[in-house]
Amino acid sequence: MRLGYETGNNPFYLRVPQEHYYRGHHMKREYPPLSLHSLQKLIDTDRLDVTKAIDIASIVKSGGYLFHPDQKQFGIHLTDEGADIFAAKINIEVQWASELVIAAIERNGGVITTAYYDPHSLFLLKNPKKFFESGQAIPRRMIPPPDAIEYYTSAETRGYLADPEKVSQERLKLAQKYGYQLPEIEKDSIYDMLCTKKDPRQIFFGLEPGWVVNLKDQCILKPKDEELLRFYSM
Amino acid sequence: MNLCLRTKCLKSNILGSLYRYSTTTEVVEKNDPVLIDDSDETRAKDAEIEKKRNISRLSPAHFNVVNDRRPYEIPKSLAHLTVKYHRKMYGKYGMESGVNPSLCWPSKKDIEEKLEYEAVAYPFTIKEMMETAAKRRQEEKETILKRDRDIAAKVAKLDQWKKELNDKIAKKAAEVQAAKDRKERIVEEVRRHFGFKLDPRDERFQEMLAKREKELKKQEKQAKKDAKEKLMLAKLQQKSAGIGEAQK
Repeated sequence: MRLGYETGNNPFYLRVPQEHYYRGHHMKREYPPLSLHSLQKLIDTDRLDVTKAIDIASIVKSGGYLFHPDQKQFGIHLTDEGADIFAAKINIEVQWASELVIAAIERNGGVITTAYYDPHSLFLLKNPKKFFESGQAIPRRMIPPPDAIEYYTSAETRGYLADPEKVSQERLKLAQKYGYQLPEIEKDSIYDMLCTKKDPRQIFFGLEPGWVVNLKDQCILKPKDEELLRFYSM
Repeated sequence: MNLCLRTKCLKSNILGSLYRYSTTTEVVEKNDPVLIDDSDETRAKDAEIEKKRNISRLSPAHFNVVNDRRPYEIPKSLAHLTVKYHRKMYGKYGMESGVNPSLCWPSKKDIEEKLEYEAVAYPFTIKEMMETAAKRRQEEKETILKRDRDIAAKVAKLDQWKKELNDKIAKKAAEVQAAKDRKERIVEEVRRHFGFKLDPRDERFQEMLAKREKELKKQEKQAKKDAKEKLMLAKLQQKSAGIGEAQK
């Protein structure tokens, strides 16, 4: 047998190299990381307002997070670096979070939600001013793709499509798993803020799909046409 | 220059002091209504003044943009006739732009197209996707469980299979050994027949060997036949005995 031909007619040193790790990379969603440590820094330096619910728009606005929706980036992956020194009570909405991160936030009496945004809504969230100046009505947020549906509907990951009752059960479970006393947010003075949550179709806090925001006139125009209302509530 | 300025100052001062010390005061009639002159003439005059004041040397469009007004009142290119441009003008310059805000919302046709696109881009509802995902997960789990069961069943039988295999190997080895022994025996017998050491490759030796082998085979066959007959006989006897007993 010729040297190198032990495997047959396709010797290893003549094979076309294949890296299956990269298979389908052009379709994969990317979630650039933001650590709990840097989130804490943003809060401590007063670049994030903790008296309001935090979402990707406010984090991008704080300037502490580089984000390019045009590069297949789908939002924030909150990582667990600095989980043991994290000490802020916040209501945050990110796009990806691990169990430890969820535990770190809930231990401080905060609330975390993982929510999916389609690329178009991410462009809007990255630069709302640019969008409002284009004079268009705010679109609806689209539903997640089939390969992400499990994450965003499961209560363990605090998905935005999960059943709220199951989420509260999971909160308790996680507290028991990590061994901390779950603070009762129902008796909190900022309960309303902690309960703030976006509708699955909503992109901006306080603004509904179909509304037109005019920054020059400082006004919001809401549609009244039946068909438009039906379209935007779909 | 300096001198000139000074004279000017002096002049005004003098004038001011003269006014102050003048005996006749200007009577301001407060009851007169204030009339704003908006005749064409004054307007033209104002415009003229404004034009003279504008020393920026900007083009009219840029001057408008700088002063937060829409650049063109009349469309200058095809792009200025599009809905997108009008929306942009409204978004940027508000009601002042003179654009009807109802343009900001999609038309019926746009909505239809959007819905058609969504029907293709998002063919499944959330519930359907959830069900599919749950089903897939269940199937994966079942595949793993099935494999586990298969392996467990096979492991349970492993000892038996090991024993069988070892027996088989031992049996085969024994057979090979027996055949070898037999052959050796025959060769020895043939050698003894000749009475002297003969090369096994010799023709005579081979002949004798074949003969001896034939004999042995015959003997074996006979023995087998005898054993069979014996067995048959025994069976027959048993049968006849059985029938006899039944008859009794």
